[in-house]
Formats: sequence, C-alpha cells, structure tokens
Amino acid sequence: MAAPETGREPVVSMRDIVKIYPDGTVALRGVNLDIYPGEVLGLLGENGAGKTTLMKILAGFLKPTSGYILLRGRRVVWHSAAEALRHGIGMVHQHLSLVPVFTAYENIILGLPSRMLAGARQRIEKLMEETGLEVPLDEVVELLSFGEQQRVEILRMLFRNVDVLILDEPTTNLTPNETETLFNAIRKLKQQGKSIVFITHKLREVLEITDRIVVMRRGRVVGELPRAMADPRLLARMMVGREVLMRVEKPPAKPGEVVLRVENLWVKRDIGTWGVRGVSFEIRAGEIFGIAGVEGNGQAELVEAITGLRRVERGKIYFLGRDVTNLGPAELYRMGMAHVPEDRRSTGLIMDMNVVENSILGLHRWERFLRNKWGMLNWAAAEEHAKELVKKYEIAAPGLYSPVKYLSGGNQQKLLLGREISKNPKLIVAAQPTRGLDVAATEYVRRMLVALRNQGHAVLLVSSDTDEVMQLSDRIAVMYRGRFVVVTRPEEVTEEKLGLYMGGIEQA
Amino acid sequence: MPESAALIFAVGVLNAMTPILLTAVGEIIAERAGVVNIGLEGIIMIGAMAATMAAEGFGPLAGLLAGIGVGALLGLLHAVLTAYLKGDHVIPGIGVNTLALGLVPFMLIVYWGSAGQHTVPRYAQVPKIAGYISPMPFIAILIAVAAWYILFKTPTGLKLRSVGENPVAADTVGILVERTQAVAVVVGAALAGLAGAFMSIDWLGVLTKEIAAGRGFIALALVVFSNWNPLWALGGALLFGTFDSLSQWLKVLHTGIPDTLINTLPYVVTLIAVAGVLGRVQPPRHAGIPYRRE
Repeated sequence: MAAPETGREPVVSMRDIVKIYPDGTVALRGVNLDIYPGEVLGLLGENGAGKTTLMKILAGFLKPTSGYILLRGRRVVWHSAAEALRHGIGMVHQHLSLVPVFTAYENIILGLPSRMLAGARQRIEKLMEETGLEVPLDEVVELLSFGEQQRVEILRMLFRNVDVLILDEPTTNLTPNETETLFNAIRKLKQQGKSIVFITHKLREVLEITDRIVVMRRGRVVGELPRAMADPRLLARMMVGREVLMRVEKPPAKPGEVVLRVENLWVKRDIGTWGVRGVSFEIRAGEIFGIAGVEGNGQAELVEAITGLRRVERGKIYFLGRDVTNLGPAELYRMGMAHVPEDRRSTGLIMDMNVVENSILGLHRWERFLRNKWGMLNWAAAEEHAKELVKKYEIAAPGLYSPVKYLSGGNQQKLLLGREISKNPKLIVAAQPTRGLDVAATEYVRRMLVALRNQGHAVLLVSSDTDEVMQLSDRIAVMYRGRFVVVTRPEEVTEEKLGLYMGGIEQA
Repeated sequence: MPESAALIFAVGVLNAMTPILLTAVGEIIAERAGVVNIGLEGIIMIGAMAATMAAEGFGPLAGLLAGIGVGALLGLLHAVLTAYLKGDHVIPGIGVNTLALGLVPFMLIVYWGSAGQHTVPRYAQVPKIAGYISPMPFIAILIAVAAWYILFKTPTGLKLRSVGENPVAADTVGILVERTQAVAVVVGAALAGLAGAFMSIDWLGVLTKEIAAGRGFIALALVVFSNWNPLWALGGALLFGTFDSLSQWLKVLHTGIPDTLINTLPYVVTLIAVAGVLGRVQPPRHAGIPYRRE
C-alpha cells in the first residue's frame, strides 16, 4: 500500500475491522485504514461496498465485530457516537440528524453543557465567517434548504472542535454553487490541520477535492492511490470490478403524439405556500422530458399533481387528450400512467411485504391475479408475475417471499420499475430514479428508461442529478422556485450553464 | 357568609380546572420527550387513593406527597417499560387504567370497609384559605407556567424536546435519551398523581371508586389540542373548569334538563372548543415510538 504522508503520524488508524450484522450480512471483511492530519481522504465505492459502515464504526454509531481503532496511537473503544464526538470524531450523515423544529442555533448548541454556551453565538458567527458556511441562525431548520441544513450539521461538528470530520455523500442534494461553498470550506478546514473523510461514489468530486483516494468494494479496500495518479476510468474499474459504460447509448428520438400536456399549473406545498407557480409543458410519446433542479423547487409537488396525489389549484392537465385535472391516482393509473416515486421506501414499495406482494401492488385488481369474481387473489399467478420480473430485470433477491427491505436499493428500484412497466403505461413519471443506487444499478435503470422511450413510451424524468438529466433527456426544463427558468435540449446547453439555471443565477 | 356567588363560582372553576391542568401538563412533559402515557386516568385514581391513606395517617401534606410519590412510581414503571425496554407505549397505560378500576374499589372495601365511596375526614383535608379557597389551583397554574418556561426557554427544555423530536440527533450529541425520557415520564406521572390527591383530600373531600371520571382522558385530549404547550393547556383546562362549575349550578336551577346530560357539558364543550379553536397542531415527531439504536 502507498504511504502518502510519510513522516507524519496518522490521527486515526483502523485495523482489521470486520463487521457482520446480526442477520448474517458481512459488511466489512477486514479493513485497514489510516487517516492523516490535514488531508482530505476520498472514500470511494459503490453502495454496499462498506464505506458508510466503516465510517459509522469510526464515529461510534456501530460497533465492529472485530478489529480496533487507534486514535493518535492509543486504542479506543466507542460506546456511543457522543463519545467519539467528544474525542474529536464527527460524522455528517447522508440523512441529516437535525431536530427539524429547532432553529439552526438551537441545533448547533444542542446537548452542550451550559458552561460552554457563554458567547456561543459570537463563536458560531466567527466560525461561519472563517469557513464561509453561512446559515441564518434563527431560522427553523426545516425551512432551510438541504444545503443550509447540511451546513448547520457541519457547524455543529466544528463548534465541538472535531479533528476528523466525516462527510457521507455530502453533495447529493447540493446545487453546484453550494457544492463549491462546501469545497471551499473543506479546503480551509484542511489548512487548519483537520482531517476530512469524503465518502462518495461520484468520481468527478473525488478527483476534485481529495488528496488521497481509498477505493472499497464488497467490504474490502481494493485500492489506494494519491489523487495525482487517479483517473475516472481507473477508479470506475476499481469500484465496480469491471469496465463500466460511462454513457448510455441513445438513438435519436422519434417523438409521436402528445401524451401529457400541462397548462399553467399552480400547486401548493404542504405548508400552504405555492410550490408550483405556473408551469406549462408537453411530453410526446417516445421522448424523455427531463426536469432538472435542486430539490425543493417544486418538482415533488409537480410530480404529485400530475400523478393525482396533490390538488391542482389552478391550470389544467391533459393526459391522452383528456382533461384529468384533479383526477385521482387510481383512474390515472387505469388510463396508463405509471409512477416511480421519489421515495421508493415509503411510497413505491411496502418494505415489510415480500417481493410477490410488492410485485402486484396496484395491479391486484387485474383479472389475471384474481381467482374468482369475489376478488380472491390468485397467488400462483402473482408468484408467476414476480418470477417474471425477477428474471427479466435481473433482480437479486434472497427469495420471492422475503420482505423487500432485505433487497439492496438497486434491486428495490428494479422491482418497482419492473412492476410499473408491466402496466404497459403510456407515460412513466420517474422521480429521482437512481437516487442512492450504485454505479451498476444506476446504469441499468438509465438504460431501462431509454429502452422504454425507444419503445414509444413517454417518460417524465425528474432528477436533481444534472448529469443524469443531460444524458437521458431529449428535452430539458430547469425548475427553480416553482417555475421553469428554461426549456432546452441537452445539445444546446452545457452542464455548467444548467447549474447556473438551477441556482437561479441565470435566467433564460 | 361573606362570599358572593361570583366568588364561589370562580373557586369552583379553579378547582375543576386543577386536576385536568396538572395531568395535561405532566403528559405534555412526557410526550415532549417522546413517551406517551395513556395510563393517566389510572394514576389519578390510585394517586387519590394513596393520598387518602397517607393523609389520614400523617396529615394532608403527607397525602399530597403520597399522591406525587405513587404517581412517580407508576411513571417509573412506565419509563422502564418504554424508555429502557423499548416496549409499546400504549399497552402499559391500559394496564394501569385497568388495575386502578379494580384496585380502588377493592381497597375501599378492604381498607375503609365501604363500598363505592369514603369521606375524607376534615383533619386529613388540605387546609383552605378563608375557609373555602384551596392553594392548589394556584400551585397548578404556577407549575404550568414553570413547565412552559423550562420546556421552551432553557437548555434543559431544548434537550428534552430534542429527544421527542429526533432521538438520533439527541443521541449523537451526547444527550442521554433514555434517562431524559425516564425523568420526563416520572415527573409527568407524578403530576397526575398530585391531581388525584387534590381531588380526594382537597377539592371533593371524598374518595369514590370512579373519582377520576374520565379526567385522565380529557387531559390526554387537551395535550393534543394544546399543541403540546402548557400555556394552551391552561386555557383549555380553565374552559373545562368553567363549564364543570356551570353544570353544577345548572343542576341546582331545576332547568328540567336531566342531570346526567348536564354532567356531560364540560366534556363536550371542552372537546369541541379546543378542537375547533386551535386547528392544526404539530406533535413531537417521535412521540410514542420506541427509540432503538442500530
């Protein structure tokens, strides 16, 4: 292994870390890792590679099955995350752990003894100035953007003076500008001698911000190299263990008749303010219409309005030429709309139900799945259907009758997509379809969407992943504060330009 | 007798307000920390019983303390089951309520030898200001205001509420989730026990087998409609007290309305009013859900 920081003692060393979960899943198979002061370490790997598990062990959220941690040469055993935090190791999770109804300030000082609260506000303000991580301190965090919430969490760690800051997929929901702010802060923290562990599966970022890259696959470290020696292809191959197609092949679109037309749509958020403020567009058969944008700019409300889950206040939606404004989801699905919702775990699938049951959710009234006219289910037919999906979409499941929560995110998404496709829909509404999926599964899902379009289905793709929207879409709209700031074609716009639209900096 | 009708009415309002207020404020504290305790009705009853026993032996102060103590003990039981053993929050409450339904009538017979009710002798009752004004309602209001202040204006309150909103976040920064919940539940249940003590050895001066008469459940409703805020609970409890007092007067006025119907007045009005007036509420997001680490 390379020893990049010669002459310096690592601040943290993890040795022979093995983690076996109670259900028998082996997450880590003997991992060694050193973290040096003043470096940005990129921890790269697919979902399920064990990056997050490894760091959760370092930060005290999980206990290793075997192996140990040395902190500045001394062996430590964490009994809680709070203990690790007290010793200077803090982790910012992908799903932030803030108290949503508290203000930013309250979240930062939460849990500190009173003696540390004197002058806390001034010290936090100074910290914000030094790092550039500015947040409105007196705003309730659930009203802040994801980027701001993340800053609150980082500030909370910095305020506790951590030496090792672990960031788990920190850029997932950030705008390009917010990402830049974060990267600048990381650079400043590095200069102060802090160690930052940057967990990601995005090759470009790991190449931009890190000093050293450790690649993990299936619970092992499979490679370690300084950034200078890394290139995307090499890293991708190390991550996946084979060559990966970085781009999805896409023949020219052959748009047919209009499938969905949305006219001047206005939709409210849960809290009563406008989420969608006058959006119009149409999608034709055989094309992918992509909506890019930072989350929280009305995309979720737009999708819910189109799929009949949220009330339309003003404007019209036409599906297959029929006015379907404020029609319920059951009727829309019957007409040929399919929905791959943003949060597959709470909306798309039922985690505690098994693969067979999930495979016929929403199709359960089909004659094919009924035994008789009184509505008794024909489980044999359902099992047959599930088997078909598993085979056709290469779904890796422990068994047809195991709960879907035991499937990986990628396999859950394949099951969900497969089920929706089996409706042979005219329109597929896919919201963040590759969120949280690893490289291989992402590639698979993207190819599926393109294949659907090639077969003449209309696809509405909503994604905060700019790269994804650029790759897949035939036409692109950027949503910002409830409006489309631009509708364009991928060949007419650069990713940077798209980023500016997304941040509301550029207007068409 | 110098007291005016208005004054007597006001005292009636305050007395009827007190047990609801104490119980609701206690439950607000517990639920803000994420623990739901539906055994309040039972705690009021058992608290009233224990208070009577202690007061007859050692005086009214001992009676009040016994109510608090028994409430705290039942709260501790609930805390062990929910906060530490991560059990369901509803079942133990049903258990306590059912236990009280049997225990109180049983003890009335075994201990006092009377079926259904037992009059608390004057020496065991809480002494009154000017002969008919109890200090307890004022203490209850003080407790409600103090609870509001602690919950929303102090670091302690911030910690307690963080546990009820997002225990993972609290855990991460070193707040002892289980202990915070346990303290909140014990304090909350102790207040319900005090409410029971107030009813038997102060306000009513009698221990009956149905002494709580649904107040524990009204308090539970009030917790929700007050949006988990002790000050709103004070308003709701006052409303209940007003109509409870009013219903007593209606009975005396021979209106022709059946007494049983009049008796429902405070319950019905309180539920309608608090449900209608306050509108949308925001419960603590982790209330009633056992917190388990990975």
